[in-house]
Amino acid sequence: MNLNTPIKPTWCPGCPNFMILAGVKKALETCGKKQNEMAIVSGIGCHAKIFDYINLPGLNSLHGRVAPVCLGLKVGNPNLTVLGFSGDGDAYAEGMEHTIHAARYNSNWNYIVHNNQVFSLTVGQPTPTTEKGFADKTMPMGVKTQPLNPIKLMLASGASFVARVFADIQQVEWVLKEAIKHKGFSFIEIIQPCLIFHPSIGYKEKTYSLEKTKHDKSSFDQAWKKAQEFDYNEVKKIPLGIFYQVEKPVFEDQLPQLAKLKKAGKSWKDIKR
Amino acid sequence: MNKRYNILFGGELLGEALVKQGYYVFYSRDYQSLIRGGHNFNVLTFSENPVNSNESNIDILVALDENTKTIHEKNLKKGGVILDSKHPNMYFAGKLFKLLCLDFKILEQELKELKKRFDENIKEAKKGYEEETKNVCKVILQKNQIYFTNGGKGISEGAIKSGLDVYYAYPMTPATSVLVELADKQEKNNFLVLELENEIAVMNSAIGSSITGAKSMVGTSGGGFDLMTEALSSAGIVEAPVVMYLAQRPGPASGVPTYTGQGDLSMARHCGHGEFPRIVLAPGDPIECQELTSQAFYFSQKYKIPSIVMSDKHLAESFYSLDSKIQITKSQKTTSLARYNTYEKDSTGAGTDNPEIIKKNIENRLKKVQEIKKEAKKFTQYKLHGKKNKNLIVSWGSPKGAIIDSIKDLNCEFLQILYIEPFSEKIKDILENKNIILIENNATGQLANLIAEKTGIFIDDKNKILKYDGRPFLNDELKKEIERRLR
Repeated sequence: MNLNTPIKPTWCPGCPNFMILAGVKKALETCGKKQNEMAIVSGIGCHAKIFDYINLPGLNSLHGRVAPVCLGLKVGNPNLTVLGFSGDGDAYAEGMEHTIHAARYNSNWNYIVHNNQVFSLTVGQPTPTTEKGFADKTMPMGVKTQPLNPIKLMLASGASFVARVFADIQQVEWVLKEAIKHKGFSFIEIIQPCLIFHPSIGYKEKTYSLEKTKHDKSSFDQAWKKAQEFDYNEVKKIPLGIFYQVEKPVFEDQLPQLAKLKKAGKSWKDIKR
Repeated sequence: MNKRYNILFGGELLGEALVKQGYYVFYSRDYQSLIRGGHNFNVLTFSENPVNSNESNIDILVALDENTKTIHEKNLKKGGVILDSKHPNMYFAGKLFKLLCLDFKILEQELKELKKRFDENIKEAKKGYEEETKNVCKVILQKNQIYFTNGGKGISEGAIKSGLDVYYAYPMTPATSVLVELADKQEKNNFLVLELENEIAVMNSAIGSSITGAKSMVGTSGGGFDLMTEALSSAGIVEAPVVMYLAQRPGPASGVPTYTGQGDLSMARHCGHGEFPRIVLAPGDPIECQELTSQAFYFSQKYKIPSIVMSDKHLAESFYSLDSKIQITKSQKTTSLARYNTYEKDSTGAGTDNPEIIKKNIENRLKKVQEIKKEAKKFTQYKLHGKKNKNLIVSWGSPKGAIIDSIKDLNCEFLQILYIEPFSEKIKDILENKNIILIENNATGQLANLIAEKTGIFIDDKNKILKYDGRPFLNDELKKEIERRLR
């Protein structure tokens, strides 16, 4: 499988997005799926450039609209393995409603949110997960509002797989393979420092792996508790790993038309009328 | 003979019975945006000859409450009948069947098909039938092959016959009737209907499905369409073959939700940022709804473009009895999953800012405008109704019915424009040196603007018959308006 494209990445030198790209490619190469069984979608922002660097079909979609496009792909062909790449501006600002409903629908695709807590491609404005006090040219007096906690949001919205990792090749590869294996909607947030506008200094040192603790990922209460350890405002402890994973009825399986396509290994395109 | 009357419930039931008996029927509903109560009324016109609209006067008024009587009594014709007493709906259905010399067996059959409250309904209906002593018309039994259907059903049928795979929508009057109709038919016909969180999701998901090759369609009204326009622009650059159903109601904003209007023609033509090809089609009756929906799928699939099929509350929800043949245009599934982009893209599918590629991409997309224009000539882009005349009415969409009914005895011809985009070049010649009378259900004459843009012909403001009170044209009122403008 050759996932490379001839496009030279335009991320800043040293951008953690390079780690994410490498981890994603490793996971895709070894997840057991064929190249023509997978599709990718991205939104708008630095994260979205990943679409140009992975040779898979799909759509570099509009800002905030990754989730409905991914759902549309799954509905069009329920046999596809779909990865939707998004950013914090994309998933939590412009497309917040879709993020919540994606968790609720539990369609079997993977939502990968590159969270750098800042709008980088538009040069440094605060997003819904930017910490209080963050100042830039648009908010010279500093952010006054409480950041959103996406892990809690996803848990509350009914996501069946909720994880967070750091922009690290091994972590990304591991969590993505787990997400692809999961039957249902998988939410993965990647903490991705932006070296220019939000370097997240001191974050990495505060991270620890939930997998190395006695965390029971089937327990909503434990997941909720762990989610509160990092409120995206003050950096004390940042748990990483799978917060929550349970089996819930999958969107495609519950609709007889899609279940039939899935069983036959077909898409609507194959249905002649 | 045109008979008309008013009945709260069972208008459709009565219409069906009249059609079975061989009559042509037109039936429209007027209801407020509330669930119980208020003043709601239905008007039904039937005739031995084709009828496509209502008029303002009433032969039979069935008033289920005092308010209905107060409001409509003034429109009762001399010798007209009022049925009003405290009785259930089906009692009046029975009375009407007797009054109109309809076979009671048809009512019995209709009530069976309702599949609820049959015993009570039939008892009430029988009582009404027996208690009515008059009858006001002769029995006819024509062997007409008549469809009794509304525009919403037409759009739905057209989509199904075009091989619809997935329909996405968020409920909004008056587009919801298509959502409901398709939802009901999905299992039998093996396609899928999904209601998502909002119109933004609806259109973006439709794009997602369409790039896997699925024949995808969305439906909404003006406000929902506004929300879809960013993604319409996306479909434009992605070249996603999505069919969009736009059922108009009066705007701006929430406007008048359960009434009718044609205020969105300019929006359909221009909305969405950037420059990209689209087609905009405007059926004027349920048969054209079927035909043009199939043509929308055809053009969308063949040229990989978004297409818009327009209707309004009056067309979508009124019942027409029509007897012409339906011509469905079949289409292939042309799209396969590949690397699509909402950015201008290079040959690898990656975003680009290369000036030559940008220029080439735009030219490739806009080249289709010419190709579509050429191919559209094979289709009926406009219709001329009536005999050649210097007085020429021009309109689009739902006013068709009232216009056809009102010009029967008038010295004029009617040009109905079905293809808004691409606009037929022949229309200029047809309009040249005519006394053009514009009829539209909006306040600014949007079709006149389109005609001016495409032909350089300006329609005199005095010759614009515009109705923008949320109500459809009534043929007797319209006739008077036209007569004043004839030369």
